[in-house]
Amino acid sequence: MALDSWSLVAIFEIVVVITTFPLLVFGWVMSAKGRNPIRDAPFESGQTRLGEARLRYMMQYYPYLIMFVALDVVAMFLFTWGLVFASLPVAQDYLFLVFLIVLVVPLGYALYLSGRRESW
Amino acid sequence: MQGLPAIQDIVNLAAKIITSRTFLEIVVFPGFLNVFVGAALLTWLERKVIARVQLRIGPLYAGMWGILQPIADGIKLLFKEMIFPELADAKLLMVCALGLMMIAAAPVVAIPFGDGLVIANMDVGLIYVFAAISLFPTLILLIGWGSNSKYSFIGGLRSLFQQVAYEIPMWLSVLGIVMLTGTLNLTDIVRAQEKLWFVVPQILGFVVFFAAVLAELERIPFDLPEAESELVMGWMTELTGAAFMVGFLAMYTKLYVMSALITALFLGGWSGPSILPQPVWFLLKTFLVATVIVIIRGAFPRVRVDILLRTGWTRLLILAFANVFVTAMLIWLGFGWFWRV
Amino acid sequence: MPDIAFLALSGLVIASAVFALEARELIYGAVGLGLSLIGIAGLFILLGAEYLAMFQIAVYVGAVVVLILFTIMLVERERGRIVEEEEPVRLGRAGIYVAGLVALAVAAAVILLAPVSPEAPEFYRAPLQELGRSMASSYSVALVILGLLIGATVVGGLTLVKIEQKEKTSGTAQ
Repeated sequence: MALDSWSLVAIFEIVVVITTFPLLVFGWVMSAKGRNPIRDAPFESGQTRLGEARLRYMMQYYPYLIMFVALDVVAMFLFTWGLVFASLPVAQDYLFLVFLIVLVVPLGYALYLSGRRESW
Repeated sequence: MQGLPAIQDIVNLAAKIITSRTFLEIVVFPGFLNVFVGAALLTWLERKVIARVQLRIGPLYAGMWGILQPIADGIKLLFKEMIFPELADAKLLMVCALGLMMIAAAPVVAIPFGDGLVIANMDVGLIYVFAAISLFPTLILLIGWGSNSKYSFIGGLRSLFQQVAYEIPMWLSVLGIVMLTGTLNLTDIVRAQEKLWFVVPQILGFVVFFAAVLAELERIPFDLPEAESELVMGWMTELTGAAFMVGFLAMYTKLYVMSALITALFLGGWSGPSILPQPVWFLLKTFLVATVIVIIRGAFPRVRVDILLRTGWTRLLILAFANVFVTAMLIWLGFGWFWRV
Repeated sequence: MPDIAFLALSGLVIASAVFALEARELIYGAVGLGLSLIGIAGLFILLGAEYLAMFQIAVYVGAVVVLILFTIMLVERERGRIVEEEEPVRLGRAGIYVAGLVALAVAAAVILLAPVSPEAPEFYRAPLQELGRSMASSYSVALVILGLLIGATVVGGLTLVKIEQKEKTSGTAQ
């Protein structure tokens, strides 16, 4: 058995599932089952449920998700840079600085756009 | 009799696997049992410490100092009925609760509890941990949506935006450490702190990382997804019985694992005088961090959602970049050798 | 004999992709996409690109799938409903799956029966330091262009939405 790191991750996850899954099964089997309208209603602190639950709630923060995707990719490149930072000649650090500056301007504008509530 | 030698072989193989060091590491320490017992202990610790902060006593009757309270809670929750609303997707909720537990426990595979005492010494250990953490918003969003209840859905959305907002500052605040040590291997990062813990030169990174971890854990002052006076239990509202137990345990597993991560990254991991063995130092520091996080819960009010998101996206991001800049200065001025492994 | 891990991961990728296509709810489709992408990250690990695999999970499954899920959840119900299909369409789809399986069987037969050595070629596992160094030196221009592209994408996306919202509000105001 080649026990490299990733097989260990897989084995660990299997152990977690083997231990946690029976808890769920046990709970499912042991629980009383009474389906009546009062029990099946979602919990709204005693009020009867009115209206659809899945509405458009926090749409004004949608730009944050888009910026998150972009910055996630940027973080990937920044980590490759950070790994070799100490041994890089200074000129190549400036290239990464250019990369960052080229990003900062559009992202700053994006933050400004997302702050203006009337767009949403 | 062809069958008997085969059975003997299987038994031998099973015995060899079970007593092998790797298996013990995975299941007992620093693996699954460590995480499970640690999370259960943290539920007790939280209730005791919060009680003392609020001038109460906390769990008292279940065993001495109420230490058996988590077991009592677990048994109670196992036998409660799992009520799901009629329009909710019960299977999706249960699968996602299981997924939460899997992902909350996953980072422990790479975290070293002692020199060499790590399940898998990954060369990309640090970003493996970040990849695991980044899977939480997906699951929480699915649970919030799948519950088909206003409280759950709003809580799930808030949790998504909060965690997404603080993930980038979390990653960037660790970039300073990566620059100083030149490795993503958590064992090497801990070894590099033998002379001086990273909390000193990376104090800015530490502050940003700590705040971001508080936001990822949805702890006060960032506990808007679980705002108890507004949303009952946030995205966990419609999880009941055993599913709630798994979800609840996943939250505290996340707390335990993140505290261990903070210890490994900033507080020197297992380093300490040789009076106590290394894993004991690691656990002491981890529980110290967890206690501080719990005390913060008792001391701060909740941050409003738009301030929360704006702070994460602007101020913490700027602070994290400042930390990178300061670290770059440090290295350019020639201090980088201090933390070479 | 092909690696068991490779077979398992490829099976995961294909099975979750098929599940994503065939699921009744769009949400399950997005979940299937997420599973498929995790399988692809596993394939990256098999190829020795662990760094890429970790960020594949973090970026794709952690960000892109979340974006897709969020968009699905907030689309109006009428637009999100799956249309019931008729008989000819279903037969056509079954035909495509059968054709795919036949193609797979033929390809597997050709590969396994080919008179060449089944040794996997040695691939170069780059140490992590190499990534940074090559980013800074050989690929630096590409990096800056990528930065411009990312910035343009973000601002473009937001501006598009702003234009749509303006059209919608000005349309209803009249």
